[in-house]
Amino acid sequence: MTTITRPPVLPGTALQAPRRRRRRGNHAAGWFTYAVLAGTAVLFVGPFYYMLVAASRPMSEMVQSPPPLTPGPNLWANIQTALGQQDIGRAIVNSVIVSGTVTVATLLFCTLAGFAFAKLRFRAKKALFGITIGTMMIPPTLGVVPLYMVMAELDLAGRLASVILPTLVTAFGVFFMRQYLLQALPDELIEAARVDGATSLRTFWSIVLPIARPGMAVLGMLTFMTAWNDFFWPVITLNSSNPTVQVALNNLGSGYVPDTAIIMAGTLVGTLPVVVVFLLLGRQIVSGIMAGAVKG
Amino acid sequence: MTSTVPVRPATSPLPPTEPHPAAQPPRRTLRSRLFRWEATSAPYVYVAPFFLLFAAFGLFPLVYTVWVSLHEFRLNAEMTWVGLDNFVWLFTNAKFYNALLKTFTIGVLSTVPQLLLALGLAHLLNYRMKARNFFRISMIMPYATSVAASTLVFAQIFGRDGGFANWMLSLVGIGAVDWRNGDLAAQIAIAVIVTWRWTGYNALIYLAGMQSIPYELYEAASLDGASRWQQFRYITLPGLRPTILFTVVVSTIGATQLFGEPLLFGGGVPNGGAVNQYQTVGLFMYQQGWQYGSLGRAAAVAWVTFVLIVVLVLVNTAVVRLRTAQRLTEGEDR
Amino acid sequence: MDTRRTRTTAVIAALTSGALVLAACGDGESADSAEAGETAGGQTTLTVALFGTFGYEESGLFEQYMEENPDIVIEYESTQGEDKYWPALQTKLNSGSGTADIQGIEVARISEVTANQADLWTDLRDTAAGERVADYVDWKADAATTADGQVLGLGTDIGPMGLCYRSDLFEEAGLPTDPAELAAQLGSWEDFLALGEQFKAGAPEGTAFHDSAGGLYNAIVSTEEQIYYDASGELVLESNQALRDAFDLAAQAGQDGLTAKLEQFVDPSWDAGFGSGTFASIACPSWMIGYIKGKAGDSGSGKWNITTLPGGQGGNWGGAYLGIPAASEHKEEAAELIAWLTDAEQQAAVFANVGNFPSNTSAIELVGDTTDEYFQGAPIGEVFTTSAQNAPTQILGPNDGVAKNAMVQALLSVEVNGVDPADAWEAGVSQVLNQVR
Repeated sequence: MTTITRPPVLPGTALQAPRRRRRRGNHAAGWFTYAVLAGTAVLFVGPFYYMLVAASRPMSEMVQSPPPLTPGPNLWANIQTALGQQDIGRAIVNSVIVSGTVTVATLLFCTLAGFAFAKLRFRAKKALFGITIGTMMIPPTLGVVPLYMVMAELDLAGRLASVILPTLVTAFGVFFMRQYLLQALPDELIEAARVDGATSLRTFWSIVLPIARPGMAVLGMLTFMTAWNDFFWPVITLNSSNPTVQVALNNLGSGYVPDTAIIMAGTLVGTLPVVVVFLLLGRQIVSGIMAGAVKG
Repeated sequence: MTSTVPVRPATSPLPPTEPHPAAQPPRRTLRSRLFRWEATSAPYVYVAPFFLLFAAFGLFPLVYTVWVSLHEFRLNAEMTWVGLDNFVWLFTNAKFYNALLKTFTIGVLSTVPQLLLALGLAHLLNYRMKARNFFRISMIMPYATSVAASTLVFAQIFGRDGGFANWMLSLVGIGAVDWRNGDLAAQIAIAVIVTWRWTGYNALIYLAGMQSIPYELYEAASLDGASRWQQFRYITLPGLRPTILFTVVVSTIGATQLFGEPLLFGGGVPNGGAVNQYQTVGLFMYQQGWQYGSLGRAAAVAWVTFVLIVVLVLVNTAVVRLRTAQRLTEGEDR
Repeated sequence: MDTRRTRTTAVIAALTSGALVLAACGDGESADSAEAGETAGGQTTLTVALFGTFGYEESGLFEQYMEENPDIVIEYESTQGEDKYWPALQTKLNSGSGTADIQGIEVARISEVTANQADLWTDLRDTAAGERVADYVDWKADAATTADGQVLGLGTDIGPMGLCYRSDLFEEAGLPTDPAELAAQLGSWEDFLALGEQFKAGAPEGTAFHDSAGGLYNAIVSTEEQIYYDASGELVLESNQALRDAFDLAAQAGQDGLTAKLEQFVDPSWDAGFGSGTFASIACPSWMIGYIKGKAGDSGSGKWNITTLPGGQGGNWGGAYLGIPAASEHKEEAAELIAWLTDAEQQAAVFANVGNFPSNTSAIELVGDTTDEYFQGAPIGEVFTTSAQNAPTQILGPNDGVAKNAMVQALLSVEVNGVDPADAWEAGVSQVLNQVR
């Protein structure tokens, strides 16, 4: 693309929007934009509302035509049945344990590795980083069979450890922290610390961690969510005696289920924690996604 | 979140000093050696956790998958060597090719419209508007649900007899569609679930990319008399190319691994419909390993799928490099 | 700055250690460890892992046993879908630990258990449960017996077949509604289809005669002695003419629009159909009685009735067993519990509560007079007893489940995807051969 220099101001030129020294928001949104975005918002948020309606009414009402559009009275009763049915409460606790552990470990290990790849000099750095990127291409489904066999042999199948261990550190996290630290950590700082006799560990602890914190916050949010929503492997290795939320939902939605309303109630309970987080931290999450996009 | 980061100046624990004189007192040798050893070994120690865990839970299973795929293996039975039989079985199995085809079609159905919509939405989101945060947050709300939750809800919505979707269709005079059992209908339904989940997320990614395009370009273009559409086409799109490439690659890889949606849409049964109309390769593998108990074959499927992904990504990258080279030689100045 | 770093450190440390502690505790709580044996006070804890609805919990039997045996504590867990329960169980059997003291075994799996897993399960003849074996209907006990006579499971229920129908919908369509009248008219499955045509002609909009071609197929097949395997263990899927006939009949019903084209157990519309009247009849094994009541709810009471299968044939669909994995450390106590649970009285109680029909011969006598108000006072005890007595001893094989699923899937494709029955049959057969080798 050629570079375009700022043109001279021509009097009387019809401009489509008042000129401002802003990088974004060139035009003001018209009614069309609002309409489309509002409609999209309805489409995106609609299913949540549908979940609520379906969870609070008996199944027989939901299949009527026209279907009801407002919540009904059975919500609490259905939730209680669902909780009893699949122990969703226990599933939530398990999911918190798994996601929490994975997030903390990921943050620690990925920041360490990201720092090493970003700022430290060592041989085979390029090769090792290349391998790291390469591993991102490996689908999780590939190693599932032997992983399952290994877990069975180690007697870890069905335990939370079998879900935690394989995801303790991810290539994406390493990549993300490396990119972030490349930009955020000035070389001079590291040099200065080294010259002053700080060990790498000290440098990491005192200098890198504080600077990396915003990036870690974003990575932490994304990791927590990914771990919470992880479906494939937990469904294979866990069962209904020790489920995470996704496994419990899978069990709820397959086979001899008593009631659609119960399924919806269980889904609602399982989804609510993340939805609440999204509503509370929505702006940060949006910024995080967008920041990650640019740096990626 | 801005990209500026609070840089901690000289209030860091170690104030900058003059470099030490070259000669050092002899009793510091050990310490300085340890210091240097720490400096050289630290990076390896730092990246070690990743590689160790990867070796244990990523690499080892990968290699072992090859081993398993050369055997006939059922849990609680003997592992018997069958050589390439599993692969022969796989490549002569019509259902495998069906799974490949369905993965492809559902993949296209769920990525192409999604990315196009995301692009359009990002463009709209880029305007100055009130309630900007509200709209942005509404974009990612679907992302808050898990695969399981969203599929369960949409399975209800797409129910044949009492589903919301069919009711809406009946309002405009279209008869009830059998989403679950129909061929194209089921694939569209699953594509809708995936699209619903990811469009907003990708829209935000595009939005971020768009915001890094300098406004002056648009100014100059509109002065030159370019219409909004032309500005979009010749400024926005090229500026977004790396971002678009990123999302295309990620979406493609994600589409090849579609598993949770088809599984739960079928009620937890992995055959993907009466004529396997939405059985993806992921589902096919799960069916082999966990419905039929044939882990050797499941491993074979896993490996073949992996090779396909690698080929796909390589082809993707090559095509892009080719087109970039083409563009450079043709020139893109307007 | 230092305090902030220290605080961050502290937070991270707390989170990590907290998570690890919770993880350790959380795993310890999982009830599927067979080591959860002794509790304080000399009590023995028995773990019971089942699937679906065995009816013991629902009938309060575990409570009752614990009351009568204060030195026993029962920990019970249930997995909804058997297709998830079984792979998980296999994994635990493979690693040698994590199995419960008592595990349920579906009838479709019992063949595999007796053929390949004799060393993973306990021979019940050596235990207190051994005395019970003689109480069973022959074919039930035989199925759980290995070639050299080891008994690996004790039967819980069986699934004798009847025909459940919506008498109100039948009436609307001008069909007879009295069970005896219907039985008289239904001498064969062809008669059944003819009745279906009659229904279709007079039926209200949006109602089909039968729920699914797959269900019809299963009903017909349930009355056959030889299904997918013959006595010598050969797969006779392709050569069994009775199978082919059943398939063709069901396919015809599907093509003629006599079914509601619903996939049993997994299609939400099938669940809803019990109450909303999408289908007017369904082949019902006794355990489906409870199912119907649950799905159709209170508004369905008095609308359903039950008669015998065409020609008064008897058939069986389903049923399960209780087994003790070899890894259990409380075999004797577990065997005593099994023996009690499968005793006549308890089986009769389960039947009264959830409709699972007893497999214990004395229990069958006990329930012979049961009637059901929901089903307009129908003599369900009698209907199912007759069906159980008329049911042939079916020859089971290790891949019955695979074959059945393939056939049902093929029939669904005829119903909804317009596949030609002959093509569908070929597709089903080739799928079975592909998987079974």
